[in-house]
Amino acid sequence: MNKVKTFFYSLLKKESTKTVVTSLWCALIGLIIGFILLVCINAKNAPYGMTSVLGNYLIFTDPQDKLHYFGQTLAKTAPLLAMSLSILVSYKAGLFNLGGSGQYTIAVIIISFLGLEDSANWPWWAVMIIAMIGAALWSMISGALKAFFNVNEVISGIMLNWIALYIANALLTSNSSVWDTSHSQAKVITSSSNAFIPSIGLDRLFDGNSIVGLGMILVLIFTVVIFILFKKTTIGYELKVTGLNKDAANYAGINRVKSILIATGISGALAGLAASLNLQNGFTSWQLSSVPPDIGFQGISSAFLGGLHPIGVIFSSYFIVHISEGGSMITDLGFSPEVASIMTSLIIYLSGFVAFIKEFITRYELKRELNKISRNKEEATR
Amino acid sequence: MIVVLSIVSFLIAYVAILSISALGGMFSEKSGTVALSLEGYMTFGAFIGGVMMYVLPSTIPNAVAAIIVILSSILGAGLYSLLLALACIKFKANQTLAGTALNILSTAIAVVLIKQLTRTEALPVGNSRLNFTRFYEIFNINLFGIQGVSFNWLILIALVLIPIVYLIIYKTRYGLRLASCGENPSSADSLGINVNKTRCIGIFISGLFAGLGGLLLITMNAEWEFANGANGFGFLALAVLIFGQWKPLYIFLGAFVFSIFKTLSVIYPSIDFLANLGISSYFYLALPYIVCLIVLIFTSKKNVGPKALGEPYNKGKR
Repeated sequence: MNKVKTFFYSLLKKESTKTVVTSLWCALIGLIIGFILLVCINAKNAPYGMTSVLGNYLIFTDPQDKLHYFGQTLAKTAPLLAMSLSILVSYKAGLFNLGGSGQYTIAVIIISFLGLEDSANWPWWAVMIIAMIGAALWSMISGALKAFFNVNEVISGIMLNWIALYIANALLTSNSSVWDTSHSQAKVITSSSNAFIPSIGLDRLFDGNSIVGLGMILVLIFTVVIFILFKKTTIGYELKVTGLNKDAANYAGINRVKSILIATGISGALAGLAASLNLQNGFTSWQLSSVPPDIGFQGISSAFLGGLHPIGVIFSSYFIVHISEGGSMITDLGFSPEVASIMTSLIIYLSGFVAFIKEFITRYELKRELNKISRNKEEATR
Repeated sequence: MIVVLSIVSFLIAYVAILSISALGGMFSEKSGTVALSLEGYMTFGAFIGGVMMYVLPSTIPNAVAAIIVILSSILGAGLYSLLLALACIKFKANQTLAGTALNILSTAIAVVLIKQLTRTEALPVGNSRLNFTRFYEIFNINLFGIQGVSFNWLILIALVLIPIVYLIIYKTRYGLRLASCGENPSSADSLGINVNKTRCIGIFISGLFAGLGGLLLITMNAEWEFANGANGFGFLALAVLIFGQWKPLYIFLGAFVFSIFKTLSVIYPSIDFLANLGISSYFYLALPYIVCLIVLIFTSKKNVGPKALGEPYNKGKR
């Protein structure tokens, strides 16, 4: 028994475990508050509503359905994971990428024009690469403004979000080969299209759900690349140093302009990847909207919930998609699907407390250590 | 003549919304907390005000009802802003993160509860759009008797607040203390100023002001779609705050410049010269943001923002 205890305490000492424990705490508290809200809205249906939100595909009785929707959740995780990586890269370099939605939008424009069967219908990889380059260039506008004119990247990112939104609305609605007038949204890339990301046989694992495919594997590869970038490469190290202390970086001979441009470029490309994974799997297409898409902000949530670590982000973005997919199932119980959005935003809000909770754990450990020392002393004097 | 009048009515409304919200944000930023969640406060103020306008029975006299709506929406946003104070001051959370969370949270809460409120037998899912025609008529006075040209008297409250803010910031002890907490919190603390309390008050004031801005924004129309939050006005106000260089007078001028372009995007079809150019309406919509970026390029070179902006105050580091 004692051995188990010491094992847990030794685990708690590790920084990564602390992050996991605190993130789980945040998630738990967010869910509890969400449940209370459900009870307030409709006490009778609340327990079942909560089960649906948490269970998502698990509430289906048919195993085939379970697999199908599990695949769906996994495939929808991919875009969010890409977006979280985008936020993560820029954050590590000391920049806050609030322009993710704008970069995503620019990629959406490119994909719609190049990918749709009625327009160019290019192969999927070409569309994906060009979309990523386009989004990267858009993001580098904000980087260049920061590097050369000292413009706050948060504010320029927000402005670029709105500009991208209006460009998308203007370009996509006016083109009849892209715009589907009867549904007032852009046409969706279908699974028969060249631009559809192939499912390389993975669909058979998930009850023939064709949206599960190569995209998921690609985004995992990118996650590993980002992990290696920061862990093993010089560029990654330079970005990290710039993020931690830009004066020290300058003193060490790291080119600040170069770091900023690289960081914004990579994060823009990843936001473009998010758009590609979303559209080239036929989940959705551009809808006429008066506000920028909220995936950029969701990316911030999952990046922080994942403790700003490439591996942690995999789990946090899965968790967020799992809840929101579950949330979309509770409309017929008399709840609106935005309940899930309340829960996730509460969780992000609470994940701001991570530093504080970590400090709390550290203090607790310190107390234990001190107790141990004094106990040892007592024994020694005896 | 009608065109000119409606331009003016839009213009002053936008100036009032942007300058009041940006001035609120100034209290928060001058004391050292990033005001990214202005959008969230505006949405929350609009939400509380909107719900009040929806549920208040018509038996309550207009004047009383109007006062209830104004107070509840201002106080609601103020209380909501205290969530940021709790996270950033008490728990030393990352301010940009907490601000983003509050922005998403306010829209989500507004949509969920308003859908709950508007649920009927025929429409079990509810609607995130609220209609408040009665209050639209209370808040908007039809000047000169011309159809379509109205004046929202909430603007007057906002415009009166601008000189008062100027006096508070530059002529009172509180204003200087506020600024000292954002510039150098350690020395402010050593002089006996309670940094955390001052910052808390700064955030609370930003909530109150943005709440009024949000109410003013939605009462410009007879209905509002809450799924869109405050339609990005909070972010615009933040931009106005930055290119107004955290000074009340410049903020007012910045809001004015911005409002000209914002008005243009609404009014351009009725100006023959602009309508004949054949430029897409989306260009006019994007124009305020493009102008803002260009202005930021010229004004950001020397950083004049509060020096301790974004850093939680840690007494141990003194």
